[in-house]
Amino acid sequence: MSSTALDMSLHERRRAQRMKDPEFRAAYERATREIEQTDQVIRELDALRVDLGMSKAELARRINRNASSIRRLFTASSSRPELPLIAAIADALGAEVRVMPKAPASRRSTRQRREPAAA
Amino acid sequence: MARRRSQNDKTDASRVPRVDRRQPWAIIYYETRDGSAPALEFLDECPGKIDAEFLSVLDAVAGAPPPQFSGGGKWEAMHGNMGGWHEIRLTGPSREQFRLFCVLENASDEELLRRGLTKPAIAVVTGMRKPWRTKFSENDYSRVRRLGDDHKANHPRRIAR
Repeated sequence: MSSTALDMSLHERRRAQRMKDPEFRAAYERATREIEQTDQVIRELDALRVDLGMSKAELARRINRNASSIRRLFTASSSRPELPLIAAIADALGAEVRVMPKAPASRRSTRQRREPAAA
Repeated sequence: MARRRSQNDKTDASRVPRVDRRQPWAIIYYETRDGSAPALEFLDECPGKIDAEFLSVLDAVAGAPPPQFSGGGKWEAMHGNMGGWHEIRLTGPSREQFRLFCVLENASDEELLRRGLTKPAIAVVTGMRKPWRTKFSENDYSRVRRLGDDHKANHPRRIAR
C-alpha cells in the first residue's frame, strides 16, 4: 500500500482563482442555482416514491415507461430529464410540479443581473 | 524501552493516510507523462461561461456522487465502448457542443490509498468540443480511452498539482 497522499486541492485553488472574475462568478452561481433546482426536483420525487413504497418498476408501469428509463433517471445515468416526464412522474406519485416565485430580495438581484444600470 | 517503542508505533500509525468517505468527493485532473493536463488545457480554452458551468456541474456531482441524481441532468454515464466513463454535456454559443470526460475513483480504502487518494474522487481526464449536429469519431473516443488507460495504470495516480 502506498502511504503517499497526493495533493488534491488544485480544483479548489483553480476555482477560487477563477471566481475573482465577476463574469465567471456570475456564470458559476447561475449554473449552480439551475443545477440545484433540477437535482432537488428529481431527488424529491425519488424520496416521495420511496415514502410511498413504490418500486421504480411500478412507477414506470404507471406512466407507460420502461423500468430502465426510470432507473436511469433517478441515478443520473441519463441526462436532461424532460419536463413532461417529470410531470408524469409527479402525477403518478400524487404530486405536482409548481413554479414558486423567489423571495423579493432574490428576485430583485435577478432583475439587476438582467438589467445592468445605464452608464 | 518497550514504552518508547509503543509511542513510536502510535506516531507512525498516525502518519499513515486515512480515507475520508465524507462528501464532497475530491476532483482531480489527470496529468500526462510530459506534465500536461489535457482537461485543464481544454477548460482554459473554453469560453468563460462554459468553464464556469463545467466547474459547477463537477462540484454538484462531487457533493452528491453517483448513484445519487446530481449535475442538473448534464452529467451522464456513457455506454458501449465508453462504458465506465462519465461525461458532462454542455452547449455553448452557436450551439457548439462541449464535453468533459471523467472517471470515478471509488474503491476500497486500501486501493484508494494505493492510488494516492485519501478520498473518493472524480478524475477529470480530458475534454472535446464539436459543432452542433456533428459527431466525434471513434478515433476521438479512442484517444480519450488511451488517456484514461494511462491514468488508471499509475499507482499512485499522476495528477496535476
